[in-house]
Amino acid sequence: MSSFFDAVSSQAFMQNAIVGGILASVACGVVGSYVVVKRIGYLAGGIAHSVLGGMGIAYYLGRPPIEGALVAALVFAVILGWVSLRLQQQEDTVIGALWAGGMAIGILFISKSPGYNIDLMSFLFGNILMISSDDLFWIAGLDVLILLIVFLFYKQFLAVSFDEEFARLRGIPVERFYLLFLALVALTVVILIQIVGLILVIALLTLPAAVSGLYVRSLNLMMLLATLLGVVFTTGGLAISYQPDLPPGPTIILVAGAFYLLSLVITRFWKKA
Amino acid sequence: MSMDSIIKIKDLHFSYDGPKILENIQIDIQRNEFIGMVGPNGSGKTTLLKIIMGVLTPDKGTIEVLGKPPFQSVKEIGYMPQLTPFSRDFPISVEEVVLMGRLGKTSSIGFFNKDDKRAAEKSMDDVEILELRKRAIGSLSGGQLQRVLIARALTCEPKIMILDEPTANVDMKIEKDIFDLLKQLNESVTIIVVTHDIGFISQYIDRVACINRTLICHPTSELTGETIENMYGTHMHMVHHHHEDEKKLS
Repeated sequence: MSSFFDAVSSQAFMQNAIVGGILASVACGVVGSYVVVKRIGYLAGGIAHSVLGGMGIAYYLGRPPIEGALVAALVFAVILGWVSLRLQQQEDTVIGALWAGGMAIGILFISKSPGYNIDLMSFLFGNILMISSDDLFWIAGLDVLILLIVFLFYKQFLAVSFDEEFARLRGIPVERFYLLFLALVALTVVILIQIVGLILVIALLTLPAAVSGLYVRSLNLMMLLATLLGVVFTTGGLAISYQPDLPPGPTIILVAGAFYLLSLVITRFWKKA
Repeated sequence: MSMDSIIKIKDLHFSYDGPKILENIQIDIQRNEFIGMVGPNGSGKTTLLKIIMGVLTPDKGTIEVLGKPPFQSVKEIGYMPQLTPFSRDFPISVEEVVLMGRLGKTSSIGFFNKDDKRAAEKSMDDVEILELRKRAIGSLSGGQLQRVLIARALTCEPKIMILDEPTANVDMKIEKDIFDLLKQLNESVTIIVVTHDIGFISQYIDRVACINRTLICHPTSELTGETIENMYGTHMHMVHHHHEDEKKLS
């Protein structure tokens, strides 16, 4: 463990990784809490995976993959939002189709790009140790944007996630806020892809909020605790993975998963006692 | 007289791309009336409420709520739904739920302000749940939750309250408490309440609106003793007859 602290104090890439984890935790704590209480984890998973299409195209064109990810995440968020509002009957099938279709597009473009395979793994599983200072500025910027939108429309987001019908009767344009919310999910997904890759995004988006929801009974506290837990999971995962040279993304997810299971057991036991 | 007309519906027809759900509805609801609405399942009660709140638009006929088209006046209506469409384990306190009644009245950006908090406090006080304000909604009893929903409907300082079976899941004692409370509120607010228990609430309401595709109103003075039981048992029949008469006339 001491070699981890040495690395953090001396190596720029470790400092970037820690700061990246902290910045990502803000977005995943806030947006993840909405995803958990509104129970749209599957929809968020669809957005996360279909983003590979955009990353593949950007990669093929020689652009930074994060630009493609950003565009694809927003486009798929709007499409999936529209689907879930209009085609409620077949919602899960259509999400599944877009989920896989987006990934297939991505793989095709990556396979036709020079240097195939080099980056595919880091798209899929992320590499927090490769985060550059430029990435940190991107992540911080997206954090600020997400927090600004959540603060401005706090009431509407709360109303729409708690009781859509009532919100509509109070004159809230429910569908517009639902789509705006999915756009926030898209931005968060793009941030988290830098940390754990798109396969594991959904875990980092939902697990801190799910753990937090077991302990607190208010949405604000849930977001705060989820953010802190996000910091614990990312930093803890990094620390554990460092010495045995494990890939940090999956380690972070397993730390979060273990925390969640433990919390489930503890809270069950607690309620019974 | 027309100054005091709160909801005015004339020759209203409605269907969802199929058979008529509502046919030739006429009603004129006066300020501070207390209307009980009855009718079998699928009779069009909820549809009519949705039209009054501007969620659905009628095929034919006119409707004015507070002298305006419904979508413009919906913010003046306090609504309490029949079933709670939200999950009981949502992390939210009583006060936060009640504050949501302020949407549409308060600023559209930022958090709830002092006026909102004051209005929420007043309506929680009115329904006697002020001491529950910090409690999570998941920890409430059925009767307490009904009160929270009434408080939420009250927080917009409504001119009209619409309650869809407000006592569906509570026992007789709480049902009486809730209707006593509504009777008090009725001094300043026009109330429409959907119910199955017309016998019980006849002591509270001014008129009964019986809906089964068509609508007939009875003043409660016509509804005493056994006739209530008769009407409640057979009112579907009565409406049906009325409808046949109309057809013969036309």
